[in-house]
Amino acid sequence: MNKYLDLSLQEINNLLINKKITPKDLVIESFERIEANKDLNGFITLNKEAALKRAEDLKDQEVTSLTFGIPIAIKDNIITKNLRTTAGSKMLDNFIPIYDADVIERINEAGMIIIGKANMDEFAMGSSTQTSYYGPTKNPWDKTLVPGGSSGGSAAVVSSRITPIALGSDTGGSIRQPSSFCGIVGLKPTYGRVSRYGLIAFASSLDQIGPMTRNVYENALVLNTICGKSKNDLTSVETNEDFTRLIGKDIKNMKIAIPKFYVNDTIDIEIRQELDNIITLLKENNCVVDYVDIKYIDKAVPLYQIIAMGEASSNLARFDGIRYGYSYENPKDINDLYLKTRKNGFGNEVKRRIMIGSYLLSGKNATTYYNKALAIRDDMRNSFLDIFKNYDLIIGPTATTKAYPLGQDLDDAVKAFMDDILTIPVNMAGLPGMNLPIGFSKDHLPIGMQIIGAPFAEAKIYQLASYIEKELNLDLNPNLGGDDNE
Amino acid sequence: MSNYIPTIGIEVHVELKTNTKIFSSSENGYGQMANSLTNVIDLGYPGTLPTLNEQVIKTAIKAAHVLNCKIRKKQHFDRKNYFYPDNPKNYQITQARSPIGYDGYVEIEIGNNKKKIEIEEIHIEEDTCKSAHRGNVSLLDFNRAGVPLIEIVSRACIESSEEAKLYLEKLRELLYYSNISDCKIEEGSMRCDANVSIRKNIEDKLGTKCEIKNIGSISNVGLAIEKEIERQSKLLDKGETFKEQTRRFDDKQNDTVLMRVKETGNDYRYFPEPDIPYIELSDEIINSSIAELPMLPDERRKIYKERGVSDINITKLIANRSLSDYLNLFLDTKLNFKEASNLLLGDISAYLNKTEKDISNTHLTKEKFIDLVKKVEDNTLTSKNLKDILDDILESDKTIAEIIKEKGISNITDSNMLQDIVLKVILENPDSVKDYKAGKDRAIKYLMGQIMKETKGSANPKLVNQILINELNK
Repeated sequence: MNKYLDLSLQEINNLLINKKITPKDLVIESFERIEANKDLNGFITLNKEAALKRAEDLKDQEVTSLTFGIPIAIKDNIITKNLRTTAGSKMLDNFIPIYDADVIERINEAGMIIIGKANMDEFAMGSSTQTSYYGPTKNPWDKTLVPGGSSGGSAAVVSSRITPIALGSDTGGSIRQPSSFCGIVGLKPTYGRVSRYGLIAFASSLDQIGPMTRNVYENALVLNTICGKSKNDLTSVETNEDFTRLIGKDIKNMKIAIPKFYVNDTIDIEIRQELDNIITLLKENNCVVDYVDIKYIDKAVPLYQIIAMGEASSNLARFDGIRYGYSYENPKDINDLYLKTRKNGFGNEVKRRIMIGSYLLSGKNATTYYNKALAIRDDMRNSFLDIFKNYDLIIGPTATTKAYPLGQDLDDAVKAFMDDILTIPVNMAGLPGMNLPIGFSKDHLPIGMQIIGAPFAEAKIYQLASYIEKELNLDLNPNLGGDDNE
Repeated sequence: MSNYIPTIGIEVHVELKTNTKIFSSSENGYGQMANSLTNVIDLGYPGTLPTLNEQVIKTAIKAAHVLNCKIRKKQHFDRKNYFYPDNPKNYQITQARSPIGYDGYVEIEIGNNKKKIEIEEIHIEEDTCKSAHRGNVSLLDFNRAGVPLIEIVSRACIESSEEAKLYLEKLRELLYYSNISDCKIEEGSMRCDANVSIRKNIEDKLGTKCEIKNIGSISNVGLAIEKEIERQSKLLDKGETFKEQTRRFDDKQNDTVLMRVKETGNDYRYFPEPDIPYIELSDEIINSSIAELPMLPDERRKIYKERGVSDINITKLIANRSLSDYLNLFLDTKLNFKEASNLLLGDISAYLNKTEKDISNTHLTKEKFIDLVKKVEDNTLTSKNLKDILDDILESDKTIAEIIKEKGISNITDSNMLQDIVLKVILENPDSVKDYKAGKDRAIKYLMGQIMKETKGSANPKLVNQILINELNK
């Protein structure tokens, strides 16, 4: 079996330009790797026929960019025209969209080839990919463990080198936490950086699509492709910059803040030790590292639950069996149609969140909870912005634990939210945040750190991340390989 | 009729006249094939997001202005959550907490008194789709889904069905004249709900109100209110109490009919729409929207009156905006508005009705109309002449003079020519001359008739009269 997909994008690009390989070789290799690791369950739907055809079409075209001809996996809550999009739910098991998400148009223009739709927690609700209607994805580093979630399929697929790139979405940590569990680079961009048009909404004021890649540079390349204002998304923002521009630049004198909350003792000791090593490394390079307080950061999870579930209860109301998706057959009347469609079509976690969300927005609760949560959220955001007046970046761990066994925490809804306790504040404040792999536990599971920037400071995140990445020079390939896998 | 004091509040939904829908680029149109004016946004497809049509905001600013409302500069949209098949997202995007206009009024004339009907608020929202029920099946037409609406909510300050009708007529006239809406009740572009309650004494607190939904015409609003007052009065007379209800007006039964008893606390779970950022209206957009407003009916009435147009013509002109707009093209000229309005509402209207044309689709240029009015005014053209050549005037690019010449319309003001004809007629009718001399006025009418016959109606009657009397008196 070829191993082109273990090469860097620059190396692949050279082979393509020199006609040593064609995009089809890459697509075939992707599918061989999927075949060899079927038990990973990283995909809900494969796009084999269309991908091969597209590779064929690209064969004679000029290689225009580093992402040209590169296989990519798309989280299954991102709408793809003519390619089934389920959001991990029975509700959309038969849903074949008639339009493309904005990001899909952009990655198509950039010459990438969609290999398939990556597994995920149902409607992105979960942090272990275990709420998927299509069964859990396994962690490539240890297939008895969860890959994290909700973008667990995307993380596992990139980690196992099935595709060099995946798109994920992050509402409370759904890109960063699985990236941490699977040892890849995952970025949640600033809210508004990437158009949400075509992302099946979970919590509209928090959702953001972002790139998941094997390394920092390739991550910045993908963000270059997918970012920018869209006429379809009023919350999107014009950007005109090259996110790779600070990569490799000196980090001397950078000022780094660590929220005290991010080093509390509920966090796995091995993770804290790895983070300490990074702090030492940064100080050795004349960076300033200070511990700071951020208002309400410890309350971020309940605030998030109120806002995210409230919005979700409304966003998921459209799944009613009338126009698309699952529809209960032979209902007695319209209420029966609503009731049975939603009862049978949604899984337990989704129903739980819709119920809580509806309750939180009902009557007086809207003012008691939702409006209050919005106000505190503003305070928290301002507290973050105050920190960025004096510091370039904020760092901390991404998750409180490394990957845990499949089946664990499945029935403990509150505990599951605690997985996201360190990532949620970033969504609440609309900031960009990245998971960067920084080491391994004793049992050789990836450990990640989080780098958080001021609004629209992604380039600076890439600058610091690329420096640490280079210094650590970790081998992040779980080497699942194909037939010649030992 | 009733010993009770009615209190009435009216909610009006008006579809805005815009090119596209409020949150998508689909065409905003009526009467097209079902589901032909839709896209994934109107259908509430997963992943879709609303955009915001600026024309809607500008139109709503105009509405707020003409209804004397204060305009809210910072506003946002809210989601109103409820499940219904005509509501594609199962939430409606509306303005629950920050209506664009508030604290306005419309002035009506009731009898000889003026009364301000107070408007509590105007808010923007999206229309639902249209459902049709066929036996066991319900059909949905999404062409209407996402059509922009404004809802105009009056305060409960209307005291009779007459006031309600006058208010709605005034509202319709204002919104129609401002190009805000077609206000066609029969097509659903204006929909009225009336809230009615009654009480014995003015000191009493307001009675239990009932809402009559979606009444099909302004006159039916009046009827529905009267019937509802009657129904409530009978109940109260019998000492009965009743619950809040939603009713509809059935014009066949000529009565209001129960739809449902209102449950307490309809819970719409409102929250700010996160997909649309807060809107900050600049003075520039407010002023430029208002500047686009055409002249409103009351000002037109005033000017027409000042320029000598008869009351009946004023009423007719206001009822026909395209003619009123046409006449307004001449506001800065010295045109005789009285004569001009007669022409527009007379022969020209008849032509437009016959041909089903709008005046803007004729060849009646400004210069031509000024010329026409002048020629009628000074009797260069008789009404008979006018009838003969009006079609040509309206359908060709030729000047009136050219048409007169071409059509061989005699030079009716040529007094020498007329003199000959007059003499001829006098010679041919000695009896009538005798009668005239004997003081019989009828004779002159007969002679005039003969002269007109001779000239095929193209003689200037004033001039003929003059010459005839002159000759007879010789």
